[in-house]
Amino acid sequence: MSEGYVVRNLRVCVGDHVIVEDISFTLSPGEIVALAGASGAGKSMSAMTPFGLSAGVASGSARLDGIDMVGLPERELSRIRAEKVGFVFQQPLTALTPHRTVGQHLHEAATQAGGAKPTTDVMVAMLDAVGLSRPEERLAQYPHRLSGGERQRVLIAAALAHGPRYLVADEPVSALDAALRGEIMALLVRLCRERGMAMLLVSHDLAGIEHHADRLLLLDSGKVAESGSAKQIASSPATDYGRRLMAATPRLSEPLSPLPETGEVLLEVEGAHVHFPKPGWRRGRLDAVLDASLTLAKGETLALVGGSGSGKSTLGRAIAGLGPMASGTVRWQGELLPPRQRRSAEHRGLIQPVFQDPLASLDPRWTIADIIGEPLRWLAPDAERHRPAQDLLEEVGLPRDFASRKPASLSGGQAQRVAIARALSANPEMLLLDEATSALDPLVADGVVSLFGRLQRERGLSMLFITHDLALARRTAHRIAVMEAGRIVECGSREELFANPQAEATKRLIAASG
Amino acid sequence: MGRLIARRLLTAIPTLLAIIVLSFVLMRVAPGGPFDGERPLAPEVRAALEAAYGLDKSLPEQVWLYLTRLAQGDFGPSMVYRDFTVSGLIAEALPVSLLIGGCALLLASVLGISAGLWAALRAGKWQDEVLMLGATLLTALPTFVTGPLLALIFGLWLGWLPVSGQNDGGSWLVLPGVALGLPVTGAVAKLARAGLAGELGADHIRAARARGIAPLTILRRHALRPALVPVASYLGPAAAALLTGAVVIETVFGLPGLGRYFVQGALNRDYPLVLGVVTLYAGLIILFNLFADLIYGWLDPRMREG
Amino acid sequence: MRPALLIVALIVFAALLGPFLLPYDHASIDWDSVRVGLFTDGHLLGTDDLGRDRLARLLVGTRVTLSVALAAAMVALVIGVAWGAIAGWVGGRTDELMMRIVDGLYALPFMFVVILLMVVFGRSILLVFLGIGFVEWLTMARVVRGQVIALKQRPFILAAEAAGSPARATLLRHILPNVAGVAVAYLMLTVPHVVMIESFLSFLGLGVQEPLTSLGILVNEGAEEMDMNPAALLLPGGVLVLLIASLTIAGERFRDRLADATK
Repeated sequence: MSEGYVVRNLRVCVGDHVIVEDISFTLSPGEIVALAGASGAGKSMSAMTPFGLSAGVASGSARLDGIDMVGLPERELSRIRAEKVGFVFQQPLTALTPHRTVGQHLHEAATQAGGAKPTTDVMVAMLDAVGLSRPEERLAQYPHRLSGGERQRVLIAAALAHGPRYLVADEPVSALDAALRGEIMALLVRLCRERGMAMLLVSHDLAGIEHHADRLLLLDSGKVAESGSAKQIASSPATDYGRRLMAATPRLSEPLSPLPETGEVLLEVEGAHVHFPKPGWRRGRLDAVLDASLTLAKGETLALVGGSGSGKSTLGRAIAGLGPMASGTVRWQGELLPPRQRRSAEHRGLIQPVFQDPLASLDPRWTIADIIGEPLRWLAPDAERHRPAQDLLEEVGLPRDFASRKPASLSGGQAQRVAIARALSANPEMLLLDEATSALDPLVADGVVSLFGRLQRERGLSMLFITHDLALARRTAHRIAVMEAGRIVECGSREELFANPQAEATKRLIAASG
Repeated sequence: MGRLIARRLLTAIPTLLAIIVLSFVLMRVAPGGPFDGERPLAPEVRAALEAAYGLDKSLPEQVWLYLTRLAQGDFGPSMVYRDFTVSGLIAEALPVSLLIGGCALLLASVLGISAGLWAALRAGKWQDEVLMLGATLLTALPTFVTGPLLALIFGLWLGWLPVSGQNDGGSWLVLPGVALGLPVTGAVAKLARAGLAGELGADHIRAARARGIAPLTILRRHALRPALVPVASYLGPAAAALLTGAVVIETVFGLPGLGRYFVQGALNRDYPLVLGVVTLYAGLIILFNLFADLIYGWLDPRMREG
Repeated sequence: MRPALLIVALIVFAALLGPFLLPYDHASIDWDSVRVGLFTDGHLLGTDDLGRDRLARLLVGTRVTLSVALAAAMVALVIGVAWGAIAGWVGGRTDELMMRIVDGLYALPFMFVVILLMVVFGRSILLVFLGIGFVEWLTMARVVRGQVIALKQRPFILAAEAAGSPARATLLRHILPNVAGVAVAYLMLTVPHVVMIESFLSFLGLGVQEPLTSLGILVNEGAEEMDMNPAALLLPGGVLVLLIASLTIAGERFRDRLADATK
């Protein structure tokens, strides 16, 4: 019997739609193979369908230790999954059964292939191995008591509990906080190496893959665009698609590209505090931003980097007058900007936002022309200065006839460009970019980043670039401010920050971005 | 969990008070009174009667009097059924209502849940579609249509079951129980079906399947409890309604239950009787919602924290 | 959805136009043919024991039931949307207080309250739908509030603020149009519910009063003579069940389609 997982000419259909076609690869024992590509490229479908864990139907062949799983009845697939394979899913928050404790999950996982009932000590050791603190207490806890990262560790422990030879990990870290991703990924890789397991890894994080995977398959619309050694593809891709994808993926190791010159200081924020009332009748206070100060010059990009909950979005919104600010001052060219409600139309027009989720940023019932015209209606009532929506569409790289469409007919990238056109229609001096590219696929995101660069050069725009992605910040921003727990812990030019990081949070972020 | 129950009970007290005071005031501002019979009473007799029932006092005084007596478990005397106390009337009527409602509830939960689960396991197939269409039709069956209809078919035509009053065996319960339970059965079946079908598509079910757990074990161990949460949240208030509120069914089948007393009491302006039934009913709603909360907590530990 | 809507449309058309096409109205008495059977003396469905044309009574009863239901559902819609939208939009303690009131009202023995209202304030048709509307708005308020809160967190609302749109304009131009679909779906589901309650009250003699008639009254009359003449129960009962079922199916399909579209 030949060992390993051998996939040949795999084709997956859902109904009449062909999702992936002609996929072939081999996963040898102890090896890590990654499937990568844009969303909708068919990575998860290729990984999950042969095991009977997707809505698709597979044809071709997928031999696990010599047994072809294509066409096997569910009973036998179920036995193969139970005995040979462990699975880790993307959504740790929902992949554990809410009414069963961590211990019950581990117990079920350890006995799934008919193994002996695990003792408490054995289960504690399982949790210990995945780096979960206080494992004894965890066994009796229900999943909702654990954080996302902790749940993912429990899921990994459960996936390994029966000692499988193969691990299938479907975007195991993409739902986790940026600071945790590197750590969990490293844990998975270390466990595979230690136990001699082979891993099939589905991921869209190209920057990380080269450090983790031995071999890589780049998928593009359901077909293999390029395959080979992960390091090779990362450093010198052979196909055009691979080259474009790699170029669109920011990495800390890449050379610094030049950025436009900056002018005099426009924005000065001093001692900004933001806190929110806790819900309920007897309210406490939740401090979101503490004593944050920053400046931004004309034509400059300042990146605000930090994990989720670090307060970066809250600070950005407070500056733009879109969120509350308890104390502190925001000045524009020395003039004090009043807080949220009292900001005049003229002041509002200065800073315009672009948000993360492009489709949710556009009212589904409005036409594109109306959406783009909304700021004009309130901020520039005198019609002379109006530029037609069509001109703005052209400026952001969209066809003029999009003006009469509705948002539902747009792709994510197109919708984000409409949101940018809306921001531009107010003729702002500064853009607040709140994770504006992180919901987009790498190639699309790269296009939007280049658009920001062009707008900065042509219009001399200042930008506050909020992101969790340190490598992206390094590529696009003149200066970088790192936030943690509501405070700006470090701020400096991109050269300084990476050459000589001071704060612990910065060092951790750099390490996590590999 | 304890804190959740305590909070529920604490909010229940003002709700209950508000309901009592509201009903009290509502009835007093209405035209007509308990002693406006066909034959006008002599003014002295009327005044004496009103004094005896405390109707000559001011409204706030009356409310206060009622509440203090209620706190001692006394619903007061009936104003129309002389010589009867409201407590006595309720003690007589409540068991009848509880029996009919209990039958309906049993039918609705057993039949409704099993039909719903069966359909969910065949989601998208014709059996599912037919069953759910049937369930929707059931929910559209008003008790005052099915009641007479069942009485006609099984009572008058086939002569299998009694159609009026009580008898010594339990057979008098069948028709009212079924007529009352059918619409609830339909609603429960729909909720159970939606609950389980949604649950079967959930991530944690896929994770369990990935572990190679047998389908029946997955159903029993992972899917069933969360799937029944919507059923529990519906059955709480529905149970209270079933156990006490079968006004029409009691009328159709000539049964001396709580609902009939309520309607009669309201028509006759029998204030204490109406108030007593409303108070009891509101109390039962609160009690059943509390049961529902306890069941939630068991079904899903996230609900235990309130 | 199609067959269900078709049935609803047929019933509505028959109820609206039917009475004009008949030579008899629902209250006039034909002394020559009292209590005749089907297809007798030009009475397609016969007459009742007062000699009134059953078909005319059925059509008018359906019309009355439908109008009361629609009016009550509109009352529920207006109160529910206003209450839910304000609670969701203002948020904070206002929201909490407003929703506590809704929770409290849910705990009311609401059928009893309606009965009490009918008994206490006399049996006018206006009160019937006002009374029903007042207890039916609760679900609408909850649904609308949830929808408003979900919408409020969508970034296009923040973008509107950045565009300088005043809060009132945002509520009117962004929030309410996006709530409309869900509100209509729940309106469609409220109507069959109200049909049920109205018939229930009329059955007890607490709703619509003679000489007007409604499906509930007809079912009540039919139940009394069902041993002699089952059709008198089956016809109004059948129309009532068909109406409630098809309205429910149409409303549920519409709601599910809307939910799919916004996913």
